[in-house]
Amino acid sequence: MDADSVKHIRLLLVDDESEFRNTLAKRLRKRGLDSLQAADGDNCLAVLADHAIDVVVMDVVMPGMNGIDTLYQIKQQYPQIEVILLTGNANTQDGVEGIKHGAFDYLTKPVEFDHLLGKIFQAYDKIISEKRQKAAEEFKTRIEQQMIATERLAALGTLAAGVAHEINNPLAIVNEAAGYLKALLQKRELAEMPHRATFEKALEKVENSVKRARAITHQLLADVGKRERVVVEIDLEALLTETLALIRREAEKKGIRVQLEAEGEAAPLWADPNQIRQVFINLLSNAIHASYDNSEIRVYIQSTTAEAAIEIVDSGIGISRENQGRIFEPFFSTKSPGEGTGLGLYVTREIVEKFGGRLAVESTLGEGSRFSVIIPNQIGFSDDGSGTQ
Amino acid sequence: MIHVPTNILLVDDEKDFVEMLSMRLEDAGDKVTPAYDGHMCLETLAKIPIDVVILDIKMPGMDGIQALKEIKLRYPLVEVILLTGHGTTETAIAGMKLGAFDYLLKPADFEELQTILEKAKLRKAEQDERIRKAEARQLLRRGGNI
Repeated sequence: MDADSVKHIRLLLVDDESEFRNTLAKRLRKRGLDSLQAADGDNCLAVLADHAIDVVVMDVVMPGMNGIDTLYQIKQQYPQIEVILLTGNANTQDGVEGIKHGAFDYLTKPVEFDHLLGKIFQAYDKIISEKRQKAAEEFKTRIEQQMIATERLAALGTLAAGVAHEINNPLAIVNEAAGYLKALLQKRELAEMPHRATFEKALEKVENSVKRARAITHQLLADVGKRERVVVEIDLEALLTETLALIRREAEKKGIRVQLEAEGEAAPLWADPNQIRQVFINLLSNAIHASYDNSEIRVYIQSTTAEAAIEIVDSGIGISRENQGRIFEPFFSTKSPGEGTGLGLYVTREIVEKFGGRLAVESTLGEGSRFSVIIPNQIGFSDDGSGTQ
Repeated sequence: MIHVPTNILLVDDEKDFVEMLSMRLEDAGDKVTPAYDGHMCLETLAKIPIDVVILDIKMPGMDGIQALKEIKLRYPLVEVILLTGHGTTETAIAGMKLGAFDYLLKPADFEELQTILEKAKLRKAEQDERIRKAEARQLLRRGGNI
């Protein structure tokens, strides 16, 4: 364990012998560890109530509440704290009892100092790795839940759209047949037909029922449509300016300036503005995260009649060659768990490719990165273009 | 007013639907030719003069979108109305971008369909007229006999 991590260990020494505590504290101090002290079990719990502590080093034999009972209380109230017990040479049974109650370990008095120090480090390592594991698990659970919810919604949407479509077709036949019969009844030769009014009334009911069913299927399709991409004409420069306004605050926090430069006659781009905006938000916030304070991010738009190329260039930390191949993988992230989902660039590329475009990266470690988005102005009408068939 | 019959090509793989809507449109005074997929649609267009195509999108073989592209390529003056059981705004916009005249969801309101048909026919007639005039002007400029 390096000297820097040692400083972070918050230590509490519990012993009724003040001389022992003071000597131990002094020796620990020499090795870079600060510690708090308590003279008995009650005192120990009082300190824990007011201070965040990682490791407790505690004598078993104390007047009042003994070490084992105190350990029991600590584990009940602060399960994350690790406790190292000190027992008399003749009382190793106490130590075993302590471990049963959740002590990290026990040492027999007289304590060999380096041995105790080693145990404290081990206990702290355990706390750190448990914390990391817990964070990683929480993160994984959260992402899994998000994915499940997204997939369920998508599956439900596809199912609903499919059902609506399958119903619309026979419904259309019923509709046309009823309409045709109604038109027939208007003909002069059928004017005297027996029960003509009854036929008309029944056909009216058929048509009204079709309208009711149609309202339902059209609503279903409309709901699904909302979750799918809409394709409208986009003014790229306006969309980017709007996006820059959204991330301005984040940039200003680090004193980063974002410059937008447009070149070429901008042809209108047909795509989903919400999804394209998402692409830029993801790329720009990545650029901000990667940038050094008070640096600059440049955004270039180059338009031709066929396609639009957008480049987002930062002079930040850069991406290693090895990682460049992996950054688009789902769940790949160089950020700490909880900070990055590992989905940003993956989703970004999915969106860009969905609109027939390409997303590329060029980067040098320590010099910065250049992300290029190239989107055709007119999306190709591929086989999936007619929706969720 | 005398109703000038519209030459309609009705394309849908649902044969019962084609039959019923044809009867209804013919009853209303139009001339309807049926087709059951994209290929048959194009074959028919090659043989018979058509004003308006009513086109389903989801069909086996060549689908409506492919057929629409081909129609606009080969017969740019023929108007196309998309009529489909499946659809989202996206499909509608994509169809319009490819040159469809309008877009209706099944089951469609018959009066609404007739209104759109009427407008489509009118635009087709205007286009035909413009081209005739342009051709006439060209002939005159060349000094040819009309």
